[in-house]
Amino acid sequence: MLMEGDSSLKVDVMGKTDWRTEAKNQVRVCLLSVKYNIMREMINKVTFLTNICFMILNNASFLVQWAILFRLKEDIGGYTFKEVMLLWGLSAGSYGLSHIFFARVFSLPELIINGKLDAYLVLPKNVLLQVMTSSTRTSAIGDLIYGLIIICFSDLSFGKVLLFLLFTVTGALIITAFALLMGSLSFWFVRMEIFGNQMLNALVSFATYPDGIFKGAVKFLLYFIIPTGMMVYLPVHVITDFDLRGLLVVFGYALLLSAVSVTVFYRGLRRYSSGNLMEARI
Amino acid sequence: MRKYAVIYRSVLMENLQYAANIALGFVSYFIFIFVFINLWGYMYAEPGTRIGGYTKEQMIWYAMITEMIWFGARSGTVAGQASSDIRGGNIAYLMNKPYHYTLYILTRYTGEWSIRLPMYMVLAVAVGITMVGQLPGFGLPALFASAVSILLGITINGVFKLCISLMSFWIEDSTPFQWLYDKLILILGTVFPIEIFPKALQPLIRLTPIYTVCYGPAKLVVDFHGDQYLEILMAQLLYLAVGCGLMFFVYGKGVKKLYVNGG
Amino acid sequence: MHVIEVEGLSKTFRVKRKEKGMKGSIQAIFKPRTEEIRAVKEVSFTVDEGEMLAFIGPNGAGKSTTIKMLTGILYPDGGNVKVLGIDPTKKRKQLACQIGTVFGQKEQLWTHLTPYDNFRFFGAIYDIPDGEIDRRIKELSEAFELSGFINTPVRNLSLGQRIRCEIAASLIHRPKVLFLDEPTIGLDPVVKENIRSLIRQMNREFHTTIFLTSHDIGDIEKLCRRVIIVNSGQIVLDDSMEHLKFSDASLENIIMKIYQEKGEEARVL
Repeated sequence: MLMEGDSSLKVDVMGKTDWRTEAKNQVRVCLLSVKYNIMREMINKVTFLTNICFMILNNASFLVQWAILFRLKEDIGGYTFKEVMLLWGLSAGSYGLSHIFFARVFSLPELIINGKLDAYLVLPKNVLLQVMTSSTRTSAIGDLIYGLIIICFSDLSFGKVLLFLLFTVTGALIITAFALLMGSLSFWFVRMEIFGNQMLNALVSFATYPDGIFKGAVKFLLYFIIPTGMMVYLPVHVITDFDLRGLLVVFGYALLLSAVSVTVFYRGLRRYSSGNLMEARI
Repeated sequence: MRKYAVIYRSVLMENLQYAANIALGFVSYFIFIFVFINLWGYMYAEPGTRIGGYTKEQMIWYAMITEMIWFGARSGTVAGQASSDIRGGNIAYLMNKPYHYTLYILTRYTGEWSIRLPMYMVLAVAVGITMVGQLPGFGLPALFASAVSILLGITINGVFKLCISLMSFWIEDSTPFQWLYDKLILILGTVFPIEIFPKALQPLIRLTPIYTVCYGPAKLVVDFHGDQYLEILMAQLLYLAVGCGLMFFVYGKGVKKLYVNGG
Repeated sequence: MHVIEVEGLSKTFRVKRKEKGMKGSIQAIFKPRTEEIRAVKEVSFTVDEGEMLAFIGPNGAGKSTTIKMLTGILYPDGGNVKVLGIDPTKKRKQLACQIGTVFGQKEQLWTHLTPYDNFRFFGAIYDIPDGEIDRRIKELSEAFELSGFINTPVRNLSLGQRIRCEIAASLIHRPKVLFLDEPTIGLDPVVKENIRSLIRQMNREFHTTIFLTSHDIGDIEKLCRRVIIVNSGQIVLDDSMEHLKFSDASLENIIMKIYQEKGEEARVL
């Protein structure tokens, strides 16, 4: 803790504090942002609650589709109904977690194209983290709850529940990083916004179908281009049939993708600051 | 009528600018179809089997047509725009214009899908022929007949979505209801035909908009029968009439409420 | 001591052009045409500590571009900028700790929170410890008379109260330079006057250097001791308010005249 007297001096004179305090302050500001975002959504309580409930219902309604498909055949792509539920729970949970904390990443192109990053550039905090935590999506809370409901309805052992939660976090990290990467394309190409959204769409669409129905090149695509495989498929396999290597691969991938996307974002931010995107906002 | 034609033309021009953007949305359509091809490829393990009376090709084409309608009719106007007009108070200016607000919105909607639908149609045909194979028994009569049915289906969809938006006169947020409608269409209507559902549910689903918005048109493309054509067409016209009636009624009520409470 | 030093500052943008009508729309898809716009051309000036400067010009003259370069949002193509001895391009965060920005038409406050919570939030952003932040909130609340509504959510405040809070929030970290971009836009005359006296007071009490842009002649006349007018990316006038007031024409007429002339011609003047 800083002493009261010299702290203002420290901030005012150099703006330099040691990195640990800086990191702590940064995390504090981010959590405060998230808290305030959620408080804002809660102003209208009816809308807040209906949004959450409808999202839970929405996710649950897809189980109807699967129930009907499983009536036709007992296993689909090597999955039983139980595993499809696990897949859905993991997808919804990851998606929810990511959109509760970092919803703004998903509208990054809009910020970039309309010059709305300016407001974050005059703040003495990490631009990316400030931007990411500057909004939330209410329905995402429903997604996260749905993921947790799935755990309750499944007969997973304690260890597997822990794995599930862990993979929800890595999944959220992967979606967020992927969205950041796709959104950052707008720094270079204005029209990339839709393409990026499509890629994200693909990530989520594939995430709710068993990987066993895909073969060959597509499987490769789903593990290495669109990271659905690392987000949910591999985690589902690791949960049903534990495999330490798989666990480590998912971890490594999540970190690598995050590093790459952050790098690309800052590259793009340099372009933004050079005014190369000025056409839309002179 | 002329003023609606002018609105239609300007929306058409505006959307032509975004043709390239719309084409980027093809990716999403393609992914859906791709997943279905894989899914049904897995479900029809042995060649020549039929599920619910459909061959594998018919089953995939069915989803392709329903998704084509879904993507072609996607519009922010009937849902988001209309409800934000009403909630944001913009409606006060729009309702005194020399056109009927609901028809204005529907005209804009028509302008939007007039660009989108043909684009998705080309895509659907291209994907279908290269990745699924031709439909046996599909000829010119089926083409013309089902085209009429598709256009009617899209219009009915717009009317229903607008009706939901008009609820914004009374409730804070109509999006959850848009969702509900979308889910109904998406989950029960686009993925597979009604025949796949448990027998007990089938008559119930036939009563929902699914029958007129997506099942009907897609069924005609996949498996054309003259008598069924008439049945579907009649159902569509009935639905359109009821939908429009509902739309005018709800709008009238909403406007009256606005006059009384001053928004 | 110079708080702001600008020398030979330049910025050029590439802008897409679209022709009218259907044909133009189609053409823009296949063959987009670009055009270079020199938004800021070799601008040089200095600002002293505690100065109140009006930086004005017609729309599109390069005002915002210049401010963006001074605050580190935008990198210059040419020339040098030093604000408080810091190069905004290289040490953006360090500079951000020492400058404040208020954009009249953009709000930086969380509208669902009270001014008090907002101040606490900005305190956290600027790494001000809890005890210190409470002391500063008290100080600002007294100076700007916020105590009557400091615990009312911002969305329930009047526009005037809200702007007062915006300005107070931008002072929480005691910036040495404050950039005010049209702070009185859309306010009624009474509130405008209120805000102006606030700005004067802040300049007096905290010795804050004020860098103001505004289209409001009253703001300029009543606040600033010096005026810089830019047009077409160049400085066309840099003079003290006293000097301007000695001429026969009113300030408004002088500004109008300069706005109407082209940058190149005005430079000769």
